[in-house]
Amino acid sequence: MEKMSRVTTALGGSALTGRTMNCHLDAPANAISVCRDAAQVVVAGRSIFKIYAIEEEQFVEKLNLRVGRKPSLNLSCADVVWHQMDENLLATAATNGVVVTWNLGRPSRNKQDQLFTEHKRTVNKVCFHPTEAHVLLSGSQDGFMKCFDLRRKDSVSTFSGQSESVRDVQFSIRDYFTFASTFENGNVQLWDIRRPDRCERMFTAHNGPVFCCDWHPEDRGWLATGGRDKMVKVWDMTTPRAKEMHCVQTIASVARVKWRPECRHHLATCSMMVDHNIYVWDVRRPFVPAAMFEEHRDVTTGIAWRHPHDPCFLLSGSKDSTLCQHLFRDASQPVERANPEGLCYGLFGDVAFAAKESLVAAESGRKPYAGDRRHPIFFKRKLDPAEPFSGLASSALSVFETESGGGSMSWFVDTAERYALAGRPLAELCDHNAKVARELGRNQVAQTWTMLRIIYCSPGLVPSASLNHSVGKGSSCGLPLMNSFNLKDMAPGLGSETRLDRSKGDTRSDTVLLDSSATLITNEDNEETEGSDVPADYLLGDVEGEEDELYPLDPEHVHPEEPEYVLPQEAFPLRHEILDTPSGPEHLQDKADSPHVSGSEADAASLAPVDSFSLLSISHALYDSRLPTDFFSVLVCDMLRFYAEQGDVQMAVSVLIVLGERVRKDIDEQTQEHWYTSYIDLLQRFCLWNVSNEVVKLSTSRAVSCLNQASTTLHVNCSNCKRPMSSRGWVCDRCHRCASMCAVCHHVVKGLFVWCQGCSHGGHLQHIMKWLEGSSHCPAGCGHLCEYS
Amino acid sequence: MVSVINTVDTSHEDMIHDAQMDYYGTRLATCSSDRSVKIFDVRNGGQILIADLRGHEGPVWQVAWAHPMYGNILASCSYDRKVIIWKEENGTWEKTHEHSGHDSSVNSVCWAPHDYGLILACGSSDGAISLLTYTGEGQWEVKKINNAHTIGCNAVSWAPAVVPGSLIDQPSGQKPSYIKKFASGGCDNLIKLWKEEEDGQWKEEQKLEAHSDWVRDVAWAPSIGLPTSTIASCSQDGRVFIWTCDDASGNMWSPKLLHKFNDVVWHVSWSITANILAVSGGDNKVTLWKESVDGQWVCISDVNKGQGFVSASVTEGQQNEQ
Repeated sequence: MEKMSRVTTALGGSALTGRTMNCHLDAPANAISVCRDAAQVVVAGRSIFKIYAIEEEQFVEKLNLRVGRKPSLNLSCADVVWHQMDENLLATAATNGVVVTWNLGRPSRNKQDQLFTEHKRTVNKVCFHPTEAHVLLSGSQDGFMKCFDLRRKDSVSTFSGQSESVRDVQFSIRDYFTFASTFENGNVQLWDIRRPDRCERMFTAHNGPVFCCDWHPEDRGWLATGGRDKMVKVWDMTTPRAKEMHCVQTIASVARVKWRPECRHHLATCSMMVDHNIYVWDVRRPFVPAAMFEEHRDVTTGIAWRHPHDPCFLLSGSKDSTLCQHLFRDASQPVERANPEGLCYGLFGDVAFAAKESLVAAESGRKPYAGDRRHPIFFKRKLDPAEPFSGLASSALSVFETESGGGSMSWFVDTAERYALAGRPLAELCDHNAKVARELGRNQVAQTWTMLRIIYCSPGLVPSASLNHSVGKGSSCGLPLMNSFNLKDMAPGLGSETRLDRSKGDTRSDTVLLDSSATLITNEDNEETEGSDVPADYLLGDVEGEEDELYPLDPEHVHPEEPEYVLPQEAFPLRHEILDTPSGPEHLQDKADSPHVSGSEADAASLAPVDSFSLLSISHALYDSRLPTDFFSVLVCDMLRFYAEQGDVQMAVSVLIVLGERVRKDIDEQTQEHWYTSYIDLLQRFCLWNVSNEVVKLSTSRAVSCLNQASTTLHVNCSNCKRPMSSRGWVCDRCHRCASMCAVCHHVVKGLFVWCQGCSHGGHLQHIMKWLEGSSHCPAGCGHLCEYS
Repeated sequence: MVSVINTVDTSHEDMIHDAQMDYYGTRLATCSSDRSVKIFDVRNGGQILIADLRGHEGPVWQVAWAHPMYGNILASCSYDRKVIIWKEENGTWEKTHEHSGHDSSVNSVCWAPHDYGLILACGSSDGAISLLTYTGEGQWEVKKINNAHTIGCNAVSWAPAVVPGSLIDQPSGQKPSYIKKFASGGCDNLIKLWKEEEDGQWKEEQKLEAHSDWVRDVAWAPSIGLPTSTIASCSQDGRVFIWTCDDASGNMWSPKLLHKFNDVVWHVSWSITANILAVSGGDNKVTLWKESVDGQWVCISDVNKGQGFVSASVTEGQQNEQ
């Protein structure tokens, strides 16, 4: 990832420039440290110890400190530190327990200066005093910390942590005499360098080893610690008891932690295993890293900010044998990538929406809009005034209910529960369902039901299938009822509604049955042309043709009827049903097959938010003509498809069930099945189990009706020991007796087995029948009074 | 009148990234940067915290409910590269499976239609999509589509289960052969459609190109009696497209621009009957869209038109998106 962006930072005269870059090392690095001039970096590892110059475009190897033919174990470095006051002074911690100092000013090739062989085990950390040039501190696996004066050959003082191993030691920047040490047992100790006998303070910081610590560069007494428990904690050490200020959760154990210069709340971490990335955290936002560097392919072992006052350049060394310079600008920022919103369209037409609260909160002073939102529910995180940044990254979650016409599904539930689908004559079913729909304000649906009744239950038509249903009440009152319904329905609020949209609301059927007005047909044409491309022209021609043929019929029927039905509120008079031309059904069939047309229909319907209605009136001509019901079935099928496409599969299925054989043959099985399964699925989502069951029961599709058997299980218990029969054989594997013995003939029953549910005895059907003719007691002699029915 | 039924603290300590209602609309699962997944009972307008699921080690990006026929199962995916499948047993939620087969943040999870069994698709920033199939007895089989989207996959969405040919033709007792498909959207600005071949391998079927920036979400519309397939997609570029496919072979997809917003569009979500689309954008606003007669998508949440209205931003309504 060699990005070409360059950053120049002015640092009081000197300026840092560079780019994101890396360089291959010969061996894995264990630690890195930067020279105070920010132009050189030292890399130390088990078999590497080199100084690199950080140039604009690349790292350049300047010096290899690993000299000699046989490299001694003293050169196997666990840690390295470059003195921040003396450019020539370095110290390393060797894995064999030796602390070595290096003087780059030495003229010879070997720059080794002093050797302290006081620790018994690996030295984990070395640290120079920030202001005192000669003081060096070391912490070792043997549990001791030693303070060296570089002017002397031996350590000045030894501090015993009374614990297994020291993982990190760091001089305080704030207090001249104080240093902090961290231990594998989870403790952090605070020492006064003048008091080697006991520590000033000790507290348990982590669960498990504390691998690292770092004092905040600004002297506020903040100490950051990182542990194997994957946490970084920030402690305020100025209070009598160390107070945990922040806690950051990382993905893996924390190996190194470094405060970011010039950014009060930022710190960088890297992990000891699993995770190879370097993260920069804002401690106030402990869950998402503010920035992330993903260059390394193996564990990152050392991180260092290039300059103590520059927040943009981070250097890192890794087990993958690379040294990297990271530019903050090139870091990936998970926060930016994060999706700040959640959205879900709920089952009931409600919308759950979660959004970043800082945005919402900023405007929350304004009064919420009081629109059609009837029952909004708010989930809201309360802002904690004590925490000024809590708004920085919290979300408000709200659930909104959409208005009933648009999204809410309450109509669906009500309709499903109240519809009658079977058990009554067709006319009654239609009337009932029309009434239900009307009561729920779904006028279009109500009209459809009424139309269906007229089509299928009119006195003139007695199709064989509906013979038994269409007689009686329904048919006798068909005409007057229909009309009164229309009157009633059109009255409220419809006068002002433009009728132009309405033809769409009704199904295809009324195009043929009803429309004769020129305006309507023109309108229809427009819609067809707009909504669909290919079939439009074709249809247009047809509709017009129809129109021509319809007109002559008009005067005959309209005039005698008109006065009777005119409504003052209506924009135009009610019309007669017009007989279709013979060509009608074919062309409609074609239309039905075209998804374009269907699509346009759906659109139109959705445009009219209030269910549009049909202008339906019945003329005697319809009856007189004695059209066969089959004539309409194409239209009805078309209508069903329309409803289904509109998303109202409920209507499609309900009509399908109610009409049964009358329309079933005209819709292919697969579509029917799809409707059924869609509807059943919807019903189940709304927990309308009874309705769902009824639909399954009434469905004529084989695949659907077998759904009810899908999860029916028959459990068989042994008649002797009353335990469940586990195997499929004849013999109960518990009592080792044959379970299905005939109580009469004492043979195993193969084939039909009849048994009493009361005492579980039984046998051959013939035997038991015979037995029970003579006695009502169980043939097994258990005394139970068996009944055979 | 606006009536606030209740105000409850989700008590998430950081940003919420996803909220999903379950199959019956009675429970709401939320997930947040604070590494937790919470489940609320939202029946009758109440909000009762049922569960607080902890197990992720990074921000949790998305949650998905499985069909209830498999029990109460919730999947979550996180920045920690893991996918966790949670299950409720005797009233308590437990982690039942953990999938850690991705090399980078897992951004999206989606359960396949229940007809296929328990199959979970996971899209990750490592560019791969993995498919976890429950094979019984706590075992999950993993199939991985490597390099599905270069730079990363942001969203996955399954196509509804549609059977080629009638069920009737199937020999009894044999499971109908579904064609499994899903859509994915990624950082390569593409939407890709994937199809399972007969040998069980996943193959790229289509590449839908229209966006000019990262695709943030894709949503395949539920098929309730519809003959056409519809996919909604939204992107960083502020655009929302509706893709439709009319032909039976499923190869001809045509995009239609729903709207160009001024900010990133994060989510698209279909209503249950697939006739209304909810869109949420960077302006913290939700708008609802419906297709009009002339095939144009109109915003029905626009107050000025005086029809349906919904908005989630507390202050919406004053501004509108035009």
